[in-house]
Amino acid sequence: MTTTFTIAVIAPSLLNTNGDAENARVLARRAEWAGETATIVAVEVASDLPERPDAVVIGSGSDSALVPARDLLLEIQDQLRVWSTSGVPILAVGTGWELISWGVERAVGGVVEGLGILAGRGVPRRERASGDLVLSSRFGRIVGFENHARDYVGAEGSPLGRVLSGSGNGRDSSQEGVVMGDVIGTHLHGPVLAKNPALADHLLTSMFERRGLVYQRGERAASVDDYAVAARNQILTGLGLDAD
Amino acid sequence: MRYVPAIVIGRTVRTLARLRKPGGGSAVPGLVVNKVAPGYLATTLNSFRDGLVIVSGSSGKSTTTKMLVAVLRAHGRSVFTNPSTANISQGLTSALLERADLQGRIHDDIAVLEMDEGHGALIAAELSPRVVALTNVMVDQIDRFHDSEMVATMLTAIAARATDAVVVNADDGYLVQLASSVPAGVRVDRFGVSSAVLDAAPHGLGHARLAPERLSDPSGIVVGAVSGRTASMLIDGDEHTVGLPARGVHYATDAAAALSTARAVLGSAFDVDLAVAAVGSIPPVFGRGEVVEVRGQQVEFVLVQNPASYQLNIDTLEPGAPVLFAIGSDVRDPSYFWPVDTSRVSRVDIVSGSKAWELALQLSYDDVEIDRVETDLGRAVDDFLALPQPATGVKTIVFSADSMRRTRAHLGLTSEGEPS
Ligand SMILES: [Zn+2]
Repeated sequence: MTTTFTIAVIAPSLLNTNGDAENARVLARRAEWAGETATIVAVEVASDLPERPDAVVIGSGSDSALVPARDLLLEIQDQLRVWSTSGVPILAVGTGWELISWGVERAVGGVVEGLGILAGRGVPRRERASGDLVLSSRFGRIVGFENHARDYVGAEGSPLGRVLSGSGNGRDSSQEGVVMGDVIGTHLHGPVLAKNPALADHLLTSMFERRGLVYQRGERAASVDDYAVAARNQILTGLGLDAD
Repeated sequence: MRYVPAIVIGRTVRTLARLRKPGGGSAVPGLVVNKVAPGYLATTLNSFRDGLVIVSGSSGKSTTTKMLVAVLRAHGRSVFTNPSTANISQGLTSALLERADLQGRIHDDIAVLEMDEGHGALIAAELSPRVVALTNVMVDQIDRFHDSEMVATMLTAIAARATDAVVVNADDGYLVQLASSVPAGVRVDRFGVSSAVLDAAPHGLGHARLAPERLSDPSGIVVGAVSGRTASMLIDGDEHTVGLPARGVHYATDAAAALSTARAVLGSAFDVDLAVAAVGSIPPVFGRGEVVEVRGQQVEFVLVQNPASYQLNIDTLEPGAPVLFAIGSDVRDPSYFWPVDTSRVSRVDIVSGSKAWELALQLSYDDVEIDRVETDLGRAVDDFLALPQPATGVKTIVFSADSMRRTRAHLGLTSEGEPS
């Protein structure tokens, strides 16, 4: 008997500018490679929401998507709140992160209120931060790419990691992201879980535990992770940092 | 006579630029003439006997322009057109200078300009095109500062200049909306695909907004079916088979756009059989479906410029053909390729380019099997060509622009437009 994991991805038609919604695919594949099955449910309207997801992914979108994405999130906020406090891993990237925080202060157009699930909020920064971003964290070094026009303030209590290279949350905080249990908010866009298998496997371990299973990285995952190591090392050495 | 001094200066600059750098400096004379005679460009473009035609949109404008020019020439019209690399005002002025007499006049019947949606909107304000043809507004995630709403706004500004007709893709939601606000007295002509063609496209057409309905207007040109390098189209009630420069629904749509635009320009002089034959004579372009003989074997080169073209090209790959994928340093962060569904490929022989590892990751999470990752592109190409010839299909190299340049250089292939 295999267990079928359900991964909900919120509004991928609005929030997938940099492939951040594809982190759902990374979780699903790794669950399959560990011998189970997985389905990805795209939640474009509130009624798409699965009853008991094993993980939730919220990607990043353009500023024109802020209000429509927030309106969808408002409709499902009760469930998100319950899951966030009951140990369901939630990965929120960029705009998606800002929308489950206290909210977004836009340079033009005022404030977009968030759901308030995570502490802190997005505030305009002088220049767009765009480039490689490397952190030290309890999951080891996290390597990825950031591209955002806002800083994030109010995450000082529990960041995802310390910035080794790049901008991160900004405002001289030297920190990046915010973590509350297994709810993670980050500027690291795109397939952050593919490039950081340790972070992916941390979330998978939680997902498996909640189903009474023990997660063990599959054989295929191990060989794919060799590509991740090579991709990471290329970025790390390019920044003058030590390779993994 | 008022442009004589400017033309003389422009020609002198051109001669000097060529002495300094043979074959180069082509935009400089345009820059100089635009400075000394700022009205020259618009005045000249507005003075063709049969008028000015502008082709714009997110993608397909080069192919559409080439096809349209071929159709007009087949009808005996002499056409001034811009090389696709020079669609900014300096380049355009320089291109005009190449053909102008000493008064600055051009003796062609008609001008057909391919315009980038950004620069096009800037100079369009001074132009009075008879016909404006708009291909599409595609999902263009390569450039986050330049979203589809902005592209649609710029295309609206270009379309607002049309005096006779606006030709639009009826499958594009933005263009359908744009067409509803064309001023009275300006005709709207439409082209599009049938619902059968749409249903057969595994990932749709790539439009930022798909129009809710297929084209039903009998006066429009409808692509009824696409098979390999031919498409069947319904034109004025008759079915025609149209040859395409390469496989793919987007080429069929470009052909429909060119035929619709040619019909709008030529009116009663439009000869459909002549037009269809002219479209079919367009040669394929390197990197866009052209099959090239390299080291004694046939190889197809496929250029990927953004997620939409990546998806389209994946969807039209011949199943079972050996593939080399290469993404180079021109793609700063390959994250935005992740929404592209590559699972249809199932197996890649070699993954290469400076972003090979990231590309290998994406393919792996689509459960694509990878035989080998080789970051050295030259070696990857050599080894790929050394693989045994496939039983079906031709070897295919899919690459980003930077990897394309390197591959061409490595294989000693001449650049586009040069005699080979
Ligand atoms: Zn653009």
